[in-house]
Amino acid sequence: MQRTKPLIRQMLLASTLAVVSWSGVAQAMNAPGVFRSEFLKGNLGWEDVTARAREEGSVNFYYWGGSDIINLWVDQVATPALAAEGVRLNPVRITATKDTVDVVIAELAAGRGEEQGSVDLVWVNGENFYSLKQQNALWGAFANRLPNSVNFEWDENDPRSLLNLRDFGVKTGFQEMPWSGEQYVCSVNRAHVSAENTPATFAQLKTYLEANPGKFTYVKPPHYLGNTFVQSVLYAHNPDGTGAEPYQKSFEELGSVELARLMEPGIEYLKSIEPLLLGGASGKPRYPENSGELDNLFLNSEVHFNCKFGVFGNHNGLITGAYPEQAEEMIFPAGNMIKNKNYLAVPLNSPHPAAALVAINYFSSVEAQATKLKTAGMPVGLDLWRLSEEEAAEIATSAPPHYGVTQQQLDDNIAPDTNASLVDVIEATWLAVIERKEDKPLADIVAQVSGELNN
Amino acid sequence: MPKALSAHSNISASPAFMQNLRDIAEITPLLVVLLGLFGGAVVLGILQSFGYAPWFGINEFPTTQYFERLWFSSDFWVSLGLTLYYGFAATLIGLVISVPLSIALSKKFKSSRLFGALTRLPLMVPYTVGIALALVMLGNGGLFSRISAGLGLIDDPSQFVRVLKSHWGYGIIAVYVWKQVPFMTLTLSAVLARKGEDTVEAAMVLGASSRQIFWRVTLPQIMPGIVSASLICFAFNIGAFEAPLILGGGYPDTLPVLAWRYFQDANYAFQLQGMAVVVSLALVSGVFLGAYLLGYRRWERARGRV
Repeated sequence: MQRTKPLIRQMLLASTLAVVSWSGVAQAMNAPGVFRSEFLKGNLGWEDVTARAREEGSVNFYYWGGSDIINLWVDQVATPALAAEGVRLNPVRITATKDTVDVVIAELAAGRGEEQGSVDLVWVNGENFYSLKQQNALWGAFANRLPNSVNFEWDENDPRSLLNLRDFGVKTGFQEMPWSGEQYVCSVNRAHVSAENTPATFAQLKTYLEANPGKFTYVKPPHYLGNTFVQSVLYAHNPDGTGAEPYQKSFEELGSVELARLMEPGIEYLKSIEPLLLGGASGKPRYPENSGELDNLFLNSEVHFNCKFGVFGNHNGLITGAYPEQAEEMIFPAGNMIKNKNYLAVPLNSPHPAAALVAINYFSSVEAQATKLKTAGMPVGLDLWRLSEEEAAEIATSAPPHYGVTQQQLDDNIAPDTNASLVDVIEATWLAVIERKEDKPLADIVAQVSGELNN
Repeated sequence: MPKALSAHSNISASPAFMQNLRDIAEITPLLVVLLGLFGGAVVLGILQSFGYAPWFGINEFPTTQYFERLWFSSDFWVSLGLTLYYGFAATLIGLVISVPLSIALSKKFKSSRLFGALTRLPLMVPYTVGIALALVMLGNGGLFSRISAGLGLIDDPSQFVRVLKSHWGYGIIAVYVWKQVPFMTLTLSAVLARKGEDTVEAAMVLGASSRQIFWRVTLPQIMPGIVSASLICFAFNIGAFEAPLILGGGYPDTLPVLAWRYFQDANYAFQLQGMAVVVSLALVSGVFLGAYLLGYRRWERARGRV
């Protein structure tokens, strides 16, 4: 007896080892991190992922919950569709994506590593993705390995793939999946502004404001809507006339002196319109904190224009009553209407990674994207030229209407987003020059704020 | 003699020891929360403000650069001034309203109980609701501005006088006062009820005027209530951030809003700067509250009450 026991144990161990090595991962799959490493190595088929997703059972989806129509789509369309695949979607509606990034990083700092966190899926882009990437808090390169990845352009040789491969100039490394493509679009209240008075350039906006002081404002940076407005001003006032082009480089490539030279005319413009903004006449221009506040000002005729991310923002505003009845879209600033994509990312310590992948695969399907476009007014994130004719037609018929402009006009005026490392410097410069009224040469301010950012 | 003493103390040590044990057991839950959660957060906050945050990949401990950057900028002092101004103004106005109110409520009059209940109503309503009410009523898109525009007093609602979003902080102070007057009144009413009417009646018999009664009799008697109520309200006012954020005039912000902005930034390096703001605010508030209490103690001692 005493001899056989260790023998049995040895035999058990040997057979376990044999099974593990033979079937690859089947036995040890439940150890934390194994699913991730095996998936990333390419050892798992899609059936393995869906089988594991059904085992995991649910997926915690953290996303900005400030839009009723998006929430409705998630609850009424996405949740039942994923339930049919055996995954329960648990929507966690947040007010700011930064809060979720904080949660992930705090959990990792507290030692809650792979499969021990609480966030499975987060709707993210720009600086927040950059933070997650910088903190090594992302799950891995999955975006080109799902069945629905075929709906996106991943070929680097095709310049149109840039929006999938770079998020605010930062390489996505397939660690996030495009979800929606948005454009910075301004709306105008036709009750106050006639078509011929509608500005198309920043110079025309200034002329309009000289005649109608106080009827414009933009969201305060560092809110991304404010940053985007400032970026489009900088593109339009680029002294070389190259628009967005130099702003695609990172801060290291560009250097603070060159950046300051590029920014100078744009910052001068922002300074010069300050007295013409809402409340500017009293010496204290009022910058709203978020898009909700700006919507209220617009609805209340305190301002005549409302700029935000949203190809269908005007339509959504009209159906929800957030916009005045005569709101129409406008082409402004011509040629510099910034477009970017937003994405779905999986944090490193996602407790249900397989379910997260299944959910992302569903969100990337033509069916999900078409219903989302139709009911939530969210533009598609997939690339139309990758779809079949029927699929493209399904998307086209689902699109909400435009008001006063055509989709073609919007597409003709696209500009790319600014590199994330520059966004930080630009927003800090805005805060120093416009908000704190620091009276120093711009080059000094840019050098100073970039120094503060980098330590 | 020494032997006898030790024997004596041995006998009484047991119940005293038990009592001590019971005392410790009773305060343990509080201590755990206070030292563990609150104390831990304070220590962590102070460490971060001195540059210790390895979980963001930042470890410069100990560095004073975050405090230097803060204290050497004029913005910080403007922000501090605004923070103190809102705190002081709201507390003072609250006191001026609630002292006479509590005295009036301590007397019985027709429907005095209903009136008392009505004044306590805001206690049950959260601050955020008060802030929303201020926005709906007093904002430039609010009811008053629209009514004025509708009546033709002004051309469009945006011309309405700016009650909110100004550095005078009318909106912030209004919300604080609205919420804190019932609290102060409740505290003062409790003190008034405890002291009874005897001293006031005695003063009346001795021929004191109602003004003399207020200044010489009632006010000194309710002073402990005034001090504790104003202390609590002031401490809250300078630490609160939602009212100044939503109703304030924007830059320069109050210190809690400044800290919040740093925490909200996507760049984690700013979190440490935000911690420096929070630690500075705690210092300032500690100094003010300590000085206030010390001054009050001295005043009481001068009157021979403590």
